[in-house]
Amino acid sequence: MPDDALLGSLLAAVDASPDDVPLRLHVADLLAARDRLPEALAHCTQALSRAPGDPRAVALLQRLTAAIARPVEPGFDWGRAEQELGPLEAGFAQEYRPDAVTEDVERPSLTLADVGGMEQVKQRLEMTLLGPMRNPELARAFGTSTAGGLLLYGPPGCGKTFVARAVAGELGASFYEVGISDVLDMYTGSSERNLTQVFEAARRNAPCVLFFDEVDALGQKRSHLTHSSSMRNTVNTLLAELDAGRNEGVFVLGATNHPWDVDSALRRPGRFDRMLLVLPPDAPARAAILRHHLRDRPVSGIDLDRLTRSTEHFSGADLAHLCTTAVERALADSVRLGSVRPVGMADLDAALAEVRPSTGPWFATARNVVAFANTDGSYDDLAAYLKQNRKL
Amino acid sequence: MSGAASRVAQLRTLRRLDDAERTAREALAADPQDAAVLTELAAVLLSAERHADGLAAADAAAALAPQDERVHRVRGVLLARLGRHTEALHAGYAAVSLAPNEPFAALGYATVLQIAGRLDDAQRVALRAVELAPAEPAAHLRLADVASDRHDLVTARRAYAETLRLDPDNAAARHDLAVLDLQAHRPGDALRGLVEAGRMDPTQPLVLRNIAAVVWRLAWLLRIVLVVGVFVVIAAGGGDGATPSVPVRIGGALVLGVVAVASWRTLRNLPASTRPATLAAVRADRPLAFTCVALAVCVGLFGAVAVTGIGVVAVLVWLVLALLAIVAVVVGLARRRRTPS
Ligand SMILES: Nc1ncnc2c1ncn2[C@@H]1O[C@H](COP(=O)(O)OP(=O)(O)O)[C@@H](O)[C@H]1O
Ligand SMILES: [Mg+2]
Repeated sequence: MPDDALLGSLLAAVDASPDDVPLRLHVADLLAARDRLPEALAHCTQALSRAPGDPRAVALLQRLTAAIARPVEPGFDWGRAEQELGPLEAGFAQEYRPDAVTEDVERPSLTLADVGGMEQVKQRLEMTLLGPMRNPELARAFGTSTAGGLLLYGPPGCGKTFVARAVAGELGASFYEVGISDVLDMYTGSSERNLTQVFEAARRNAPCVLFFDEVDALGQKRSHLTHSSSMRNTVNTLLAELDAGRNEGVFVLGATNHPWDVDSALRRPGRFDRMLLVLPPDAPARAAILRHHLRDRPVSGIDLDRLTRSTEHFSGADLAHLCTTAVERALADSVRLGSVRPVGMADLDAALAEVRPSTGPWFATARNVVAFANTDGSYDDLAAYLKQNRKL
Repeated sequence: MSGAASRVAQLRTLRRLDDAERTAREALAADPQDAAVLTELAAVLLSAERHADGLAAADAAAALAPQDERVHRVRGVLLARLGRHTEALHAGYAAVSLAPNEPFAALGYATVLQIAGRLDDAQRVALRAVELAPAEPAAHLRLADVASDRHDLVTARRAYAETLRLDPDNAAARHDLAVLDLQAHRPGDALRGLVEAGRMDPTQPLVLRNIAAVVWRLAWLLRIVLVVGVFVVIAAGGGDGATPSVPVRIGGALVLGVVAVASWRTLRNLPASTRPATLAAVRADRPLAFTCVALAVCVGLFGAVAVTGIGVVAVLVWLVLALLAIVAVVVGLARRRRTPS
């Protein structure tokens, strides 16, 4: 194609005169037009390093940032982009300082590879958290990417906590989790100081991810808390800490089953300003979950495909329940027979007749939420899903 | 309060009733005599509307801590919800006797009196609670609720308004005030109130059902206009409905104008989420959806009359409305059978 011949010769020209900023930007433009965003980005950053503050380069960088940050854009390879950027300014060695708050955080060995399916969620996490964490220099070039938190929401038992723990597994030391029991401890004890401590520890160890599980407990609508000043104060502390302006390098991640119970102030820009819907597991996720739960059990003749197909709308927790029910049935039989009878399809079919998806009530509420509280479009994903699944 | 009891109370405040119950039962397994935890458990089960289970916990707590006002308060409301009014009144009275200056004891007693049907006494006690805690939204809300049961709409409206002034996001007050508007034949105000209540607390399924009730009301009003409209068109045609005539056209246009003005007056100033909320309510109620479509067809028929000037077209409106009436009767019968009262 003549077009790409042109691009090829321009690339050669750039190689020949690497300091020609306008030429480089032109090439970056052409690459962007062909959707070769990482390469475009690499050239753009090169241009910026030669002509810092060049308005054309800055504008292009912003454009590329916006394009790359599009949630549905298929995986952007941060690692490759970083490689193409060449060696970055050194000195970002992550020294791990042991810390009172981190010490008792259990180190999960889970990684994203253990999470079945959920491609969209993984991609979005890669884009907003993992990529920038692994490539802090690149993240810095992108400017404000650490401001504002990501809120995972969806029906219970569908993997929000699970996927967050997998992020923790990917990051190792740089992950802090605050769960509901920590929150209750804060309420009963010296709440504000504790929350402040958590943020301070996270800031000391930046870059890191700060994960608030069941964040509706910590950031409940203050109008629900008229009778508890300590709980109201905690919400205020959380708001203040999120705003502190010192959170450079602290990525805030939250999860909740009830985003509509979260104080609206928490959803303002700079706080939890992006929401990500985590739906009941898709087919690959269901297969992974079923496989996981039947892994160490004596099984025979399991048709995983059929099982996966007949468990649509089941949550991860429902699938676990399904497997336990089937196993119990086989176990009862084994006890009666006096010998091991493996779990078979008949057990799972019997369990299927018993166990129903538990997400119904959540979706009933979700319908109301979409009807009343979606004027700003923050529940558009949910509305679209409900439209596709009218019977839920 | 013990650590466990306050944990349970906090979980209840966070509306995590399952977690609250589990925490309480775990604490009770360690110390079955902990009256504070038993009382909190009873309150949790009251919130979960599991009144019989709640009463068991409240009875145990009352035996352990008979001097604690709160036990009797919670126990009274549980008994009332179970329909055991005499015992409920005793418990409620015990609470206010033990703590005559505690507004929430008075509120509990007012609730018990209200459920027992002693509305005048309930109002007096609710007023006392308001006196004790003039800045407490719950006190004004109880007063409003009792007054509305007594058909004392002036007091009720004033108290709902006061509740909302103190707690602008009080969905229950907004909702109940809207129901008063509907009863007062102000469907536009009712619709606005319901939509606002739904925005404040989108988890209440009742709101959507009451929006459907408002739309039913509006559909009835529109039906009356349409029936009268057919007479207008026939009269304008002067006996000959088959040939186009200018008076018939004017008659048709007049009806359309009345419908348009009435709709505008009802629906102006409604909040942004009215449309999605109303659509959701209509979609969830099939007969209502059918009615709305049929009424739209009727309005279309009047449009046809206005354009063609042929009067008999309007008679089709009667046909559609007759069909609707049959549907309404059938649905009404079916619904009565489903909910025997
Ligand atoms: N995509 C997945 N792959 C593997 N297991 C999953 C997946 N999603 C959910 N699960 C399983 O379901 C369980 C419940 O998920 P969890 O993260 O606790 O739900 P949530 O936090 O959304 O309420 C997890 O412990 C995990 O075993
Ligand atoms: Mg969870």
